[in-house]
Amino acid sequence: MENKWIVILPEIIMTLGGLVIFSIGAFGRQRKGTSLFFLTLIFLAGAILSLFLIPSSDSFLSGMLKNDGYSRVFTILIAAIAFVCVLFSSQYARDRGFENDAYYGILLFAALGMVLAAGAVNWLIFFLGLELFSISLYILIAIRRDDPFDGEAGIKYLVTGAVAGAFLVFGIALWYAGTGSLSIFIRPAQDAGAMDIPLMMASITLILIGIGFKISMVPFHLWTPDVYQGSPAPVTAFLATGSKVAVFAFFIRFCMDMQPPLWEVFKPVLWLMAFLTLVVGTVTALSQFTIKRLLAYSSVAQMGFLIMTLLAVKIAGGPFAIAFYLLVYAAMDLGAFGIIASFSEKKEDRDHLEAYEGLGYSYPWRSAVLTLCLLSLAGLPPTAGFVGKVLIFKSVLQAGEVSIAVTAIVMSILSIYLYMKVVAALYMKPETSTGVAAAGIFEKTAAGLIFIFILWAGIAPSPLLRLIGRLIPAGG
Amino acid sequence: MNTFPLLSAIVFLPLLGALFILLLPGNSDMCRRTGLAVTLGDLALVVVLLFSIPGNPSGEWLRVEDHAWIPSLGIRYTLSLDGLSLILLLLTSFIGVISVLVSREQIREKQRSYYFFLLVTLTGILGIFLATDLFLFYFFWEIQIIPMFFLVGIWGHEDRLRTCIKFIIFTMAGSLFMLIALIGLYAVHGGETGTYTFALSSLMRTSLSPSAQGWLYTAFMLAFVIKIPMVPFHTWLPDTHTQAPTAGSVILAGLLLKTGVYGVFRFAIPLFPLAFKASVPILMILGLIGLFYASWIALSQTDIKRLIAYSSVGHMGLLVLGLAAFDAVSLSGSLLQVINHGISTSALFIMAGMLNERIDSRAFRDFGGLWKQMPVFGAFFLFFSMASLGLPGLNNFVGEILILIGTYRVDPVFAVIGFAGLLFGVIYVLRMVQDALFGELKGDTALLYDVKPGEVLVLGVLALGVLFMGLHPQPVLHMFEGPVKLLMESVP
Repeated sequence: MENKWIVILPEIIMTLGGLVIFSIGAFGRQRKGTSLFFLTLIFLAGAILSLFLIPSSDSFLSGMLKNDGYSRVFTILIAAIAFVCVLFSSQYARDRGFENDAYYGILLFAALGMVLAAGAVNWLIFFLGLELFSISLYILIAIRRDDPFDGEAGIKYLVTGAVAGAFLVFGIALWYAGTGSLSIFIRPAQDAGAMDIPLMMASITLILIGIGFKISMVPFHLWTPDVYQGSPAPVTAFLATGSKVAVFAFFIRFCMDMQPPLWEVFKPVLWLMAFLTLVVGTVTALSQFTIKRLLAYSSVAQMGFLIMTLLAVKIAGGPFAIAFYLLVYAAMDLGAFGIIASFSEKKEDRDHLEAYEGLGYSYPWRSAVLTLCLLSLAGLPPTAGFVGKVLIFKSVLQAGEVSIAVTAIVMSILSIYLYMKVVAALYMKPETSTGVAAAGIFEKTAAGLIFIFILWAGIAPSPLLRLIGRLIPAGG
Repeated sequence: MNTFPLLSAIVFLPLLGALFILLLPGNSDMCRRTGLAVTLGDLALVVVLLFSIPGNPSGEWLRVEDHAWIPSLGIRYTLSLDGLSLILLLLTSFIGVISVLVSREQIREKQRSYYFFLLVTLTGILGIFLATDLFLFYFFWEIQIIPMFFLVGIWGHEDRLRTCIKFIIFTMAGSLFMLIALIGLYAVHGGETGTYTFALSSLMRTSLSPSAQGWLYTAFMLAFVIKIPMVPFHTWLPDTHTQAPTAGSVILAGLLLKTGVYGVFRFAIPLFPLAFKASVPILMILGLIGLFYASWIALSQTDIKRLIAYSSVGHMGLLVLGLAAFDAVSLSGSLLQVINHGISTSALFIMAGMLNERIDSRAFRDFGGLWKQMPVFGAFFLFFSMASLGLPGLNNFVGEILILIGTYRVDPVFAVIGFAGLLFGVIYVLRMVQDALFGELKGDTALLYDVKPGEVLVLGVLALGVLFMGLHPQPVLHMFEGPVKLLMESVP
């Protein structure tokens, strides 16, 4: 019994961190300053490192939270995402006057919510985590209180989030009615004959809608471009990566454990959702001319790739492919939005594509990072995105889902255009340089880390694959 | 067995040079000199490789370098050299030197990034010609596209932006279908045998249902015929050629198009022999259509680079005919044409580039009477034009005649039509020569200075290449014998 709580040490450290930062804000002499920034980094690093101290145990809190290798991957990933976001925020937040206890404290709580949602195997914990990070994000999105667009984006995310939450809760209620338990696993005793399939399908559909909002699954994606555009770029980075990784981590587990009678009914639905998300995300992205909206639709398309891979979740190596791609996706989107943040002027984020023309020559390093992220999103070698796509297609083809794989390839071809459009703006227009602040040391660190990571995972992914493979089986 | 990884050194020397150039100051001549030194060094390495090959090689590969790369996915770093690869390496490193030389006058801006991209392209192309692990091959295949996109998009002519996007979408469209076919083949093979591998030699033994073979073959071929390019997948080429800087055109015509032919020869046919057999009539017909159609379109061009680009498409049509006829003679002819076309078309693009440098135009209406003003230029231009239309004694003649002889043995009707197509080619080449060299002088004659010593050097070396291939192609043909024989054996 002793040290039972040590299993959730990362969560405890994050909670403590959030509380400490709030306390400093409430009782300390100054509410702003770099000390909060460093403190946040320390707590996040502590949360990651603490994972290496604690023993792996199968479940916790009478089976509500899992602490297997799988959860560990996502705990590390989410904490790392938050870490990089904080690095990108340092100068951005200081210049715009929101480098305060509210920002960093809430960011830690959002990360905590994501970690809980990713590790949950119980609907209550999942819902708790989901709402914790959603509510934190509402505030983070509208953190610049004098900016009307931030406010609008915050409200939009709040309203859609509330609706999604309602669907989810109703779905959970039906699940409870159908299985008599709040566990996401269905006990073997209740399989096949005993199960009320229509009731369960209704429950799963409602849950899918709730989750669908959060991962921008078409047709529940419409909030995405508006919210991405309105949020401060570092928050967009966090929203685009952290919240999606968390929900997807849960979603994979949910699909993995779904048993045949339900899975057979659910699979076609998933297929359709993947198809719609891929097609609508890519095609809509083509006509965008502001970079945040473009990346918003591109992230919808990227979610399509991941939903497609859920079809292969029963194949050995399927969950591994999704986990790897989530990691890669997080790096690419963090890098892209981080550079946008770094390029932005104080009064508003640099958004229109024309404002990026010729920046490749004035700011070669930051542009190189952005270009690499875009090439990676397009899935071109030698980037991590390419290796990720290869893993995805391998799993999907092994699962025999040829038609959706071909759809995804066609969408990849179309998406080349939209990523190259940005690259062309950066490098193939006359040189300009207006209002770009010099990059701070922390932005440079974050951008450098992402640059190295994307190249490293694209050229020599073996160590990374082995590492993840030790926690999540990689399959044949 | 020599332990020095010579093949890897050849492939990665340009990349190392490219990274080194990034350290140099922004827009200095140092970048060009480094580029030249690196390409010359690479050429020297290939020559060393050439002399390290035993006289009468035995076995499938002359040289192999094989290391684990991503073991968990069965991906290996495998470079294998046979006679065909060797000749193509020689061509690539040679064209590499030429493309640096011709950039001297034209590229004055952003030299550092220019030579960076140029050298990275070379690494990609060299890798394509050596990789026999399909993943590695694909890796190189895509890596060459991105720097080419930048070369056209940044240093190209007036309509470069639209063109470079068109280029990348066309080529990526093909290659992404190949990617999915590749992974599909990998998954099928893994499912069958339990070992997941991308090695060409293993994947060749995968047993596929006829329909699966057909689909996978189609996806592979799509990537290759877009690159070749075969009519009707050719529309990106004239645009890209026209807009690219001279060195870009040289690399495109001399090397990039060859990767498509090489892909068919090395991968598509051995992997899917039955599907290839079934597609032979379609390929032969499309090849002939390409020959006629491109020659016809070339006739009506007003832009000299577009005309040469269409002539490329025409030559490639004949080349596809030779590949599809699948006779030992026609195959050798097609491979020889790969080299010949690389030399003579590059030369023509370089000369078009020289004109463009002088009077800033590519339109025939601004040329005419150049012979009087620039006699040395005129002589070279006539020489390469004659090579292009297949004058006996010059390089293209040998390749074309071998293709047609081989095709005749398989199907006389196609061969006869092919002969007629060659005549078509004569017409547009003569028209190009007449419009450019003879007639009235136009425009500002003061701008039309004759070729400078440096330019004579480039053109002279290329002319020697044309003569050598035209008069004594036997050493090269000898190199092709082994690969052609093995390929013929792989198809039942």
